Amino acid sequence: MGGGKMAGILPVDTRPWPERRDEALANQTMRTTISLTTRRLQAGQLKVFSDYPEAEEARQRAILDKRAAIKDMDHLLEQFSQAVHEHGGHVHLARTAPDAVKLVRAIAEDSKVRRVVKTKSMVTEEIELNRGLIEDGIEVLETDLGEYIIQRAGEKPSHILAPAAHKNREEVLRLFERDASQSGIEPPPDDDAKTLTQYARRRLRQEFLRADMGITGGNFLVAETGSVVLITNEGNADLVTTLPRVLVSVVGVEKIIADWQALQNIIQQPALNGVGQRLSSYTTIVSGPTGGDAAEGPQKWHVVLLDNGRTGLRGTEYEDVLSCIRCGACLNVCPVFRQVGGNAYGSVYSGPIGVVETPLLTEGTILAEMPMMACTMCHACVDACPMDIDLPAHILSLREENVEKHAGSFSTRQTYRWWARWWATPTGYQRSLRMARAGQRFYMRDGMLRTAPGLAKGWFQSRNMPPVAKETFHEWWKRTHEEGGDRHE
Amino acid sequence: MENVSLFVTCLIDAFRPDAAKAAVRVLERRGCSVEFPQQQTCCGQFSFNAGYQDEAALLAKHWVEAFEETSGPIVALSGSCAGMVVHSYPDLLHKWVLRHDGTEAEAESWRSRAQSVANRVYELTQWLTSLDSSGAESGDIDHSVPFVYHLGCHMRRLLRATTEAQSVMAPQGVELIEPEEADQCCGFGGTYSMAEPVVSTALADAKWKQVGCRAQESGAWGLVGTDMGCLLHLQGRASRQHNSFPVLYLSELLDLVDEGRLSPEVVNQYGGWQDGRNSSR
Repeated sequence: MGGGKMAGILPVDTRPWPERRDEALANQTMRTTISLTTRRLQAGQLKVFSDYPEAEEARQRAILDKRAAIKDMDHLLEQFSQAVHEHGGHVHLARTAPDAVKLVRAIAEDSKVRRVVKTKSMVTEEIELNRGLIEDGIEVLETDLGEYIIQRAGEKPSHILAPAAHKNREEVLRLFERDASQSGIEPPPDDDAKTLTQYARRRLRQEFLRADMGITGGNFLVAETGSVVLITNEGNADLVTTLPRVLVSVVGVEKIIADWQALQNIIQQPALNGVGQRLSSYTTIVSGPTGGDAAEGPQKWHVVLLDNGRTGLRGTEYEDVLSCIRCGACLNVCPVFRQVGGNAYGSVYSGPIGVVETPLLTEGTILAEMPMMACTMCHACVDACPMDIDLPAHILSLREENVEKHAGSFSTRQTYRWWARWWATPTGYQRSLRMARAGQRFYMRDGMLRTAPGLAKGWFQSRNMPPVAKETFHEWWKRTHEEGGDRHE
Repeated sequence: MENVSLFVTCLIDAFRPDAAKAAVRVLERRGCSVEFPQQQTCCGQFSFNAGYQDEAALLAKHWVEAFEETSGPIVALSGSCAGMVVHSYPDLLHKWVLRHDGTEAEAESWRSRAQSVANRVYELTQWLTSLDSSGAESGDIDHSVPFVYHLGCHMRRLLRATTEAQSVMAPQGVELIEPEEADQCCGFGGTYSMAEPVVSTALADAKWKQVGCRAQESGAWGLVGTDMGCLLHLQGRASRQHNSFPVLYLSELLDLVDEGRLSPEVVNQYGGWQDGRNSSR
């Protein structure tokens, strides 16, 4: 996996999968809420593509542009950095998550930062930036509504696009009531979505003015002009990038695109595929601090480009993973995700893209079992993915890598080995069925199989199975169609 | 008279041979001469999806060799197994040869052998809709008998055969209705059902909930499908929960219609496994 590049480091919930899974399945509120949210988002995606035929053309062009940008990444990042410098900004390259956190902490210390406001950013979740800053005594406030909610709850995002997708309005109201009483302000009067949003808006407004550092992620890096492009539905990025005196943008290196022409196509994709809108409500473009070409904005602007295992995927069969735009479409359609929600995956990246990307970025050091545990191979994700990332093929390859690394148990491997050897010959196949028929009575009750040894054991935890037929189709055919056989039984 | 070769799949061969016998009758009635290549075993998808590529390749090679002996259409009694052959075999065998130090020419040769057999593969309803007269004269149907239809994920997304089953059954006076969230997997997933039984079962329960709702509002007589893997998983779950809603393979349903035996009483015999339905015919 990855070649000689440095492995990334990602946060992980170290509890074993069965524990995370069972906790999730026991949480009925979460399951209901996740199911409603993902169904709504999936329906939105389908509707907007049928209402807006040009979307498909833009999507096809976006794929080509993005694939080309990943191939040309070194050159484009160079061009990007050059342009940022020309506008008076600073670019830093972080090889791993801890490097990135160290960089941002140093910038904060340099500028004597006390209060930080943030936009929604999966990359800062990936590097656990908030924890580092809080250790330095800095107040950190999330300003995206979903992130604000889960920050109040002390939780991790359960969906890469909608971080609080697992929370219903009632739960949000309780969190806000607690927040209000701690801050000595008026709580929201009811759990109407509008009321809750109004509360957060009112509450955040004062914080924007008090903050001395803004931290953003970035949806796209435009090499041509050295711009970081952010899309939001709440407009909070406009405030985060203009009000505080210092601005830091932490962005994965794979977000690079060549130019504004390419931006036109790809900028539509997160909204089209993630929520079913033609465009996100707000687009925020950061090209430099004040004093340069920009009339307003922060005094200082730093861009931290994060690798954390990404460049190791270039030139491998997994390179298309770097095209991911974090729209969440694959999560929305995934049957396993709809049952267990995002937090059960144990990584900030959940769903089909998460089970692929998490082990890939970390060279298999964490959550290597997830491609096996969280996929039924239904292929819904690849159909939904706007960037045509071949997620089922990657999941299969990761399962294969697991088998090759002998990660499975010895007896499981032997079962598969002998199963294939026996069944690759007609006599072996038919003999094995006869043997199963002879032995199955020990596992039967009321005419059904109730249990079985070995690999099949899992089946019988919750399901019955009919026995091997008294006469298989092979046997019936031979009896009725071969010479001397009775064609009509 | 069209000569077709039947690919019955291991699950139907071993656990529901009646579905294959019904398919033979259904095909013969529609003017097909059915051959059954007796060398066939299993397509290897169980191993393939579990990450055992060498094992899957062994079975895939055998499958290709078994069906290379035939000519003409190959009719598969599973959308998923047909999908495995059509979608995965060429690359699987190509890679397998290279992994075992074969030459690129050898790899290409296996790829094209797999491809040319795969080009002849049709899932049963795909084949039936391709026939000029897909069955008995439909006549005037004033009312249809409703069944809930479970379309498997691979038939939906690898074969893109999303309306064939309805097209086959509608002229027969049977309406196939998909449940809500029909695009959601039933949780079978081959060995996933055994390796991760908890999520697999949660998905089966979610599917049954939607099937139950649809059945209630439409008055459906049973659940019908075109993939025995999904059906065994769903009926296995139902059976464990003492739910005896009838579950039929599509060929079984079509055969009942052909024979004029479609009635609630007969369909109800497909609910529950208590009396060993396997050998009833």
